This record gives sequence, structure tokens and C-alpha cells, in this order.
Amino acid sequence: MSGPFVYVTYIYTTPEKVWDAITKPEFARRYWMNYNVSDWKKGSRWEHRHGDDSGKVLINGTVLEADPPRRLVMTWTRPDGSKEASRVTFDIADYSPGLVCLTVTHDRLEGDDAMAGSIAGGWPKVLSNLKSFLETGKTENIWLTKNKEG
Amino acid sequence: MSGSAFVYVTYIRSPQQKVWDALTQPEFQKQYWFGGHQESDWKKGASWKMFMPAHGLTDSGEILESDPPNRVVIKWRNEFRPNLKEEGYSRCVMELSTEDELTKLTITHTIDKENSQFIQAVSGGWPRILSSLQSYLETGRPHGDTRSADTRNHMKD
Repeated sequence: MSGPFVYVTYIYTTPEKVWDAITKPEFARRYWMNYNVSDWKKGSRWEHRHGDDSGKVLINGTVLEADPPRRLVMTWTRPDGSKEASRVTFDIADYSPGLVCLTVTHDRLEGDDAMAGSIAGGWPKVLSNLKSFLETGKTENIWLTKNKEG
Repeated sequence: MSGSAFVYVTYIRSPQQKVWDALTQPEFQKQYWFGGHQESDWKKGASWKMFMPAHGLTDSGEILESDPPNRVVIKWRNEFRPNLKEEGYSRCVMELSTEDELTKLTITHTIDKENSQFIQAVSGGWPRILSSLQSYLETGRPHGDTRSADTRNHMKD
């Protein structure tokens, strides 16, 4: 049984830039390496696609709430439909002048322990790289980095 | 094991030794830890104390394990809020490793108490401190005291 995964990060940027970084492929490819496709309206389908030429759909789902640039909620489903959908919520808040607080909550993971393990490793990589991207413009291919002692 | 835990992983574009120094040396801590700093020689068995500008001594304890620049374990108790102090000692593990150009930093903060108020408090504090640390090391610009009352009380959120 897997409880919710919550990750909070503070970024020197604007809520609009965080929203665009999540929802626009040209930005997401820079730090997530993969990218998301949707018209980002409530009830619309969204797809999380591999950043290579294949554009393979890795995850898909339905947009449950969209309130740009403050809040985005969507289901998170394996494309083969083999497990129940989980849910991802992005909350984007002004924290102090120039500083944005981004909270990512990934819940409803009770039916998919493998996904729970995968996203607990993945979100910190994605969100650390997002912060670097927005603050410095520099990113790393987070899915290829290797531990030097490993 | 029953108890409460907070885990946070962050990847910082900075050499592992620099991240270690930023975590352990007061002159660096004061830059990004909202003015706070710690006093310890970071050797096993050494005492450890944290000070914040508005409160003086806020936390204290002992270094349980030390393997610079890879790992340190701190026995850690809050000293200035009675409800947190009475929960007793927590255990904070800081682990660093190098992944290409990035340093992976994992903070695991646990206590042998269900629904711990102390762990709830540090769960608010760590993301702010570690975000400030990443900005400090990557851009030279840590997160300032821009919400002064809240920021000074960063471990009380």
C-alpha cells in the first residue's frame, strides 16, 4: 500500500513560467526530457510522451482541473490500462516577491506499488532539473546520469 | 518500524565537496539557511548545535556517524519549542553522491513517534532550506529573508 507522494520546491521565477514549463513541449523537453501534450482544458486527454523521435506515449490520462497558472490536476494512467489510474496535482503559489512555491502531489497510488516506487524516484529528478532550468537555463539529461561510484 | 519520517531528495549542479561544505560550514550555512548556522566539528561523537538569529539556540544533539563528504547522521532535538522538545531526539541522515554533473542529496529525518509534530515542522522547513541551498550553489543567490517573520521561524512552519 502506497501513500501520497508530496514534493515542495521554491523557485525564483513566475507562476506563468512554471505553468508553461509543465504544459509546453518545447520547455518540458529541456528538463523533463519527455513532454506533455494536451489542450489543457478540463475533461481533455493528456499524454506524457518520450522525448526521443518515437514520441512514444509513456503515460496518459484526463485533465481533471485546469486553472492556469495556479493549479493543474490530472489522472496518471499506464497506457496499457493494466492498473488503476493515480492522480497528479500541481499547485503553483506566489511565496514571496519573486519566489514561487510549487507543490506536486501524486496520490491514489494504492493500486500500483511499482508506479509509486517509480514516481518517488522520478519526481525529485524532474523537479530539481525544472528549478535549475528556470533559474539558470542549465539542465542535465536526468534519465541518463550515472552514479560515479555505481 | 513505527514512527514518523520525512524524506527529501534533491539534485544540485555543484561538486559533492561543495555541497558538503555548504551543509557543514557556518560561513556557507549563513548564506542560505535564512541566517542560521550550526556549530560542530562533524566528527563522530561531537556535539552539534543549531542557532537562528531570532531565537539563539534552536536545536542540539550529537554526530552519530560521519563520512565526509558522503554521509553524516545527526542525533537532533529541538530546544526552543516545548512541544517539540518533549518528543525527544530525532535522527537526521544526510547522504551525498555524485551523478555526472549533479550531486544527489538525500535527507531522511525520522523519529520514533507516530504523528510527530517535530517531523511535521521539519517537513515544512527542509524544502525551503534545500531549495535555497540549490539556488545558492547554482546561482549565488539564496532565498532571502523576504517573508521575514515566517522565514525566521522556518523550522516552525
